[in-house]
Amino acid sequence: MKRFVVMKENDMVATALTNLKKHEVANIFTPDNNHIKDLQALEDIPYGNKIALCDLKSGQKIVKCGGIIGQCTEPIKTGELVHIHNVKSLIADIPVSFKKEIMRQMNICSKEGN
Amino acid sequence: MNFNGYLRPDGSIGIRNRILIIAVDECCDGIAQSIGRQYENTVVMTNWYTCMLGGNEESLNQMIANAKNPNVAGVLVIAMGCGSINPAQITSEVEKVKKPVYAITCQEEGGTRKSVDSGHNKIRLLQDYVTGLKREPFPMACLVVGIKCGGSDTSSGIASNPCVGAAADKLIDLGGICIGGELFELQGCQEVLDVRASSPAVAQKIERLIENERKRWSVEGTDVETMSIGNSIGGLTTIEEKSLGALHKFGSKEIVDILEINDRVVEKPTSPGFYLSEATMLCGGSGVNFASYGAHMILWTCGAAGFENPLVPVIRVSANEDLINDDIDVDATGIMNGKESLDIVSDRIIDKLIETASGQKTQIEGIGGSTLTLYQKDQRLDTLLNIKCYKEKHL
Repeated sequence: MKRFVVMKENDMVATALTNLKKHEVANIFTPDNNHIKDLQALEDIPYGNKIALCDLKSGQKIVKCGGIIGQCTEPIKTGELVHIHNVKSLIADIPVSFKKEIMRQMNICSKEGN
Repeated sequence: MNFNGYLRPDGSIGIRNRILIIAVDECCDGIAQSIGRQYENTVVMTNWYTCMLGGNEESLNQMIANAKNPNVAGVLVIAMGCGSINPAQITSEVEKVKKPVYAITCQEEGGTRKSVDSGHNKIRLLQDYVTGLKREPFPMACLVVGIKCGGSDTSSGIASNPCVGAAADKLIDLGGICIGGELFELQGCQEVLDVRASSPAVAQKIERLIENERKRWSVEGTDVETMSIGNSIGGLTTIEEKSLGALHKFGSKEIVDILEINDRVVEKPTSPGFYLSEATMLCGGSGVNFASYGAHMILWTCGAAGFENPLVPVIRVSANEDLINDDIDVDATGIMNGKESLDIVSDRIIDKLIETASGQKTQIEGIGGSTLTLYQKDQRLDTLLNIKCYKEKHL
């Protein structure tokens, strides 16, 4: 069982409650423990991180917990990791130097190779 | 439901008998520490940044407000004698709540050694006073609880924040007061807050104070961190995401008001219910902010960090299975794996509040703890950003 939770009905992402490896299947649940669907990961999704539940366009706003949590900086495919390398804040984004350090520590890179 | 607390002369109810030693000048810290380390119930607060008053009135306001906090039974103020803060500015305020308070000035005492000796004499008098105080039962409605998160990760947004929010709702149903803060971490939550505000005027005040905090922290061209690297590695991508998760811990009740703290005012909650406030997102400083607002305890959601405040006991709630350790007071991991409901865990939080209020030590009370950080907003920056005291502007 690879448990993920989607907080609100129209959320575009689900959160990993376990580490998921590339090609493994995520089991998506609601907070009330209802199993909604299964989804194959296109890359590693570490515990606590988010998997895309649908294809997202560059510039599209992302909804989690029923609210807008930021904007895609590149296209994101269903099953990909959604994080600082492909999403930015609309209010106060993380400074570039810190983003680089976070990506280094998490071993992730953006499609543009930044 | 009752807890056992101490009735103070001004009618407030304390849950601890702390003796607060305030060093109004940074150079008095050593004297304060020399005195304080000899007793179990003394707590030192040092004006660590400066001995000046102009520009630091928010710190002075907090020293006074902390001295008036109901968990403080008595106060000793220490000054060097060459600084700008006159100890009488604090003692005269404390006398108004009829709490025993003494002051010593190092230069008048004849030096450091004599000040330490004199300080011990004053503390002994305060200890005699404390010995005579007895706990009595009081209703839960007398409690004021701060709510804060720290070391946030995925489990905070999914489990520990929602169950603390449910506990806050339950305490308010019992007539108590809960106070949230961390306004920078309410970015993007305005729609929800508008609905919860008790009036359009309160909604407007909330919006303005959140916007002020955004301006202070997001100055173009600076790399000031507003989310820790640990937050992001834990899975939080943006401040909006952190905010929406963080908002869960503030429950669902009406927001009575949002309390300012600055160089002009320290607003206090006046009736039961849920309040927002300017308590900072920085943990150490928030402890002093909550104590200033009159809080007895803090509910604190985290991964497994051991944040404690020596004046206002902290109840730590964690749902992180990998990190949880014996620093944590309430285990909420059952929510993550689907074995326990929010309702059950929030009942456990209420039980823990009663026990702690009645005198039971938290997991790390008296073992570890934060300094009493006197965090204040920079008046020069606020002036440059055209930020003014909201209350004064709208009177």
